[in-house]
Amino acid sequence: MQRRVFLQSLLAAGAFGLIPAGRSLATTPPVAADTLSVDQLPPMEGDLTLYLGRGEGGLYENVLEAIRQRNPKLNLQIRRGVTAALANTIVAEAKAGVRRADVFWAVDSGAIGMVADAGLARPLPADLTGQLKAGFQYPQWAPVTGRIRTLPYNTGRLTPEQIPDSVMALADSELSIGWAPAYASFQSFVTAMRLLEGDRVTAEWLRAISKRAKSYAGELGVVMGVERGEVDLGFANHYYTLRLKSGKPDANVDLAFTKNDAGCLVNASGVLALSEGDLPITFIRYLLTREVQSYLASEAYEIPLVNGVKPPVGLPPLNRVSPPRVDLTQLADLRPTLNLMRNAGVL
Amino acid sequence: MINWPLPRWPGSYPLALITALVGLMPVGVLIGLASEEAQLFDAHNLKVLINTLLLMVFTVLGSVLIGVPLALLTAYVQMPWRKLWLVLLAAPLAIPSYIGAFTLYAAFGRGGEIENLLGLPVPPMDGLVGATVVMTLYSYPFVMLTTRASLLSLDASLVNAARTLGMTLSESIWRVVLPRVATGIAAGGLLVALYTLSDFGTPAIMRLDTFTRVIFVEYNAFGLSQAAMLSLQLMVIVGLVLFLESRVRGNHERPGRHLALWPNRWQKLIIAVAVAPVTILAIVLPLSVFGIWLLREGTGGFQFSHAWNSVHASFLAALVAVVLAIPVAHAAIAGRAGRLMERVTYFGFGVPGIVMGTALVYLGLQLPFLYQTLGLLVLAYVLRFLPLAVGSVRATAEGLDPSLVKAARLLGASPGEAFRRVTLPLTLRGMVAGAALVFLEAMRELPATLMLGPTGFETLATYLWRVYEAGYFGRAAIPGLLLVLMSALGLALMLSGERRAEFDVTENHHS
Repeated sequence: MQRRVFLQSLLAAGAFGLIPAGRSLATTPPVAADTLSVDQLPPMEGDLTLYLGRGEGGLYENVLEAIRQRNPKLNLQIRRGVTAALANTIVAEAKAGVRRADVFWAVDSGAIGMVADAGLARPLPADLTGQLKAGFQYPQWAPVTGRIRTLPYNTGRLTPEQIPDSVMALADSELSIGWAPAYASFQSFVTAMRLLEGDRVTAEWLRAISKRAKSYAGELGVVMGVERGEVDLGFANHYYTLRLKSGKPDANVDLAFTKNDAGCLVNASGVLALSEGDLPITFIRYLLTREVQSYLASEAYEIPLVNGVKPPVGLPPLNRVSPPRVDLTQLADLRPTLNLMRNAGVL
Repeated sequence: MINWPLPRWPGSYPLALITALVGLMPVGVLIGLASEEAQLFDAHNLKVLINTLLLMVFTVLGSVLIGVPLALLTAYVQMPWRKLWLVLLAAPLAIPSYIGAFTLYAAFGRGGEIENLLGLPVPPMDGLVGATVVMTLYSYPFVMLTTRASLLSLDASLVNAARTLGMTLSESIWRVVLPRVATGIAAGGLLVALYTLSDFGTPAIMRLDTFTRVIFVEYNAFGLSQAAMLSLQLMVIVGLVLFLESRVRGNHERPGRHLALWPNRWQKLIIAVAVAPVTILAIVLPLSVFGIWLLREGTGGFQFSHAWNSVHASFLAALVAVVLAIPVAHAAIAGRAGRLMERVTYFGFGVPGIVMGTALVYLGLQLPFLYQTLGLLVLAYVLRFLPLAVGSVRATAEGLDPSLVKAARLLGASPGEAFRRVTLPLTLRGMVAGAALVFLEAMRELPATLMLGPTGFETLATYLWRVYEAGYFGRAAIPGLLLVLMSALGLALMLSGERRAEFDVTENHHS
């Protein structure tokens, strides 16, 4: 994967939507000709097995349920699991000469990279990848949505100035911190830190933070804990804060970003086809339709990656954000991260 | 008495032999898998071993500390509503320990349900301490029931003699009663050890790196070889515990009058206050947490198909297990070779679910027609829970008067006809009981179901696990309550069925 292009494009995508952020609600956004509506897609028929790397709760489920209802002749079977585990399963199955999944939808591009590197992904047609914004077009997989690591903080307890702009410096601060070490995105963040700063520094950081950290089961819990003032700030993907604020506009929480380190890692969920034929490709096309992308942007607050779909309301200007340079495929290498986190006693 | 010439090779032997060989298969698979590329032992492995042993030892100690006094209480102390006390104190067996771990984890700590509800800051429940507390709360009844059965077999006149000779009551319990029930305590303690070693959910939720948790992590990273190596190490420990258990034999005394102690009102109150925390933590708290979640979040996300899938797979497992149990049980009665075959099938009961899952995932990858099929999952259930069915079937078959079969043969029935028309109807009760036990154990099974379930096949237990993993705790209420209900039925069956001798809840069994 060409990481720089990917990152720059994601930034551009954010900026694209954000520069006119104030006006975008009033004006009709430009709709690129090549973004399809579900109405333009053929109905799907037959058996399709999807390996779904643990989705974002009910929202991905809603998308899949809508696809099912639109395509009554489609027999969609879903195997749910931790993204990295499913990626490993796919590779092990291929090694044993068994293939069960037709499509793999992962919340983490590292896992996608791992499967693609194993040579298991089928090439995608050019008119499909062409729907994605420039720089997001990969021959073997399609990014579905983007997400940024952020520091949600309690606005009643902190001002933006009190938050260090380096995630490493947080270890030396006196702030109380909420985190969800078991959550896949957090683990990708730790993997990124490992790659950027080395294992020893990362382990020290984990130990230092864990002294002032409160663990939550998921990152929505982290953001809610921050909002309730249980902790000063937390680690979470950007959309949890936006979702919380959409339901509670006066919530005591806002987003801060670190600079040029793992604290503002940019990642993407992605999808790839594992079996031949039109059905997996059509399924991927459904995920890239205007309807699904708008739904994920407006309801899940994820960053849409096809042309002509508005980014989520409330995403702060991304030109303020300088994500680190990390090879996203390496984020699939989870085991050293898990060992590190275990040895540091945080998992 | 006429001795009928027995066939040299009883009819049940071939089938029993095949079943026994299939039962050994997982170990063969694991050895083959582990020899591929696994590391034998490293530093992290040592930590896992220590954690596992510490959890086991602390849980056994905790269970003895809670279980023995409660056994004395339920056996000897004349409290009002004694039956109710006994049922209440045995009830933690009806709650799968992962449900206890899940709810206690959610209840304690900052932002936990207790703090949310009462505003009371409570320490978090996790790590070695949390896992020990949970495992103790849900396994002390093993010690309580085995010890109680031993206590009820004792003659009170020895205690009375000791008191007459000037010992105080507590001294005579310590020096006269307890030494004579040591084997009962040991038997319960070993059951607790076995239960703790094979439990997956509790260490996983409490985030304690024991063998079962690390095996699951390796499986998720598809380090199947390493998972197999860890599984074999765990099996060695399990084997040691099983060996010790087989050495523990009850000593039988001439039964006599039971000791009866009559507490006064204050003593009753003190006893009730002392016992309350155990019941509150083990029973009231999990059910309350589910209740709160149910009120707060309703029944969202739960589909009836989860319950149906559980029932479907468990029913198939029960059916297959009983069909296989019949030849094994009859072989066990028929001769020494048959008894050996029966012993071999017992082996599966000692294989933790996570280990069985690892072996069968690999088997499935080698035999793709089995991979991710319901058949493979049912096979895992059958291999694990076959001993429950064999035990039940054998117990009724042994009680069968052999002269009935001989009479049938004398009247001209072939062996097959005698079996069909005499043995089978008379042992039907045992088969039904065995099937029910397998059914209910399969319903609660978590790790093997997670690993082996077909795509899209969500059961109550796996749904509960997904909900835990995704952090949507509120959705656990319905599947959790259903699982508790199912397990309660299983417990009721166990207490009235095959293991009655061990887990005696009646008063006069021995007299």
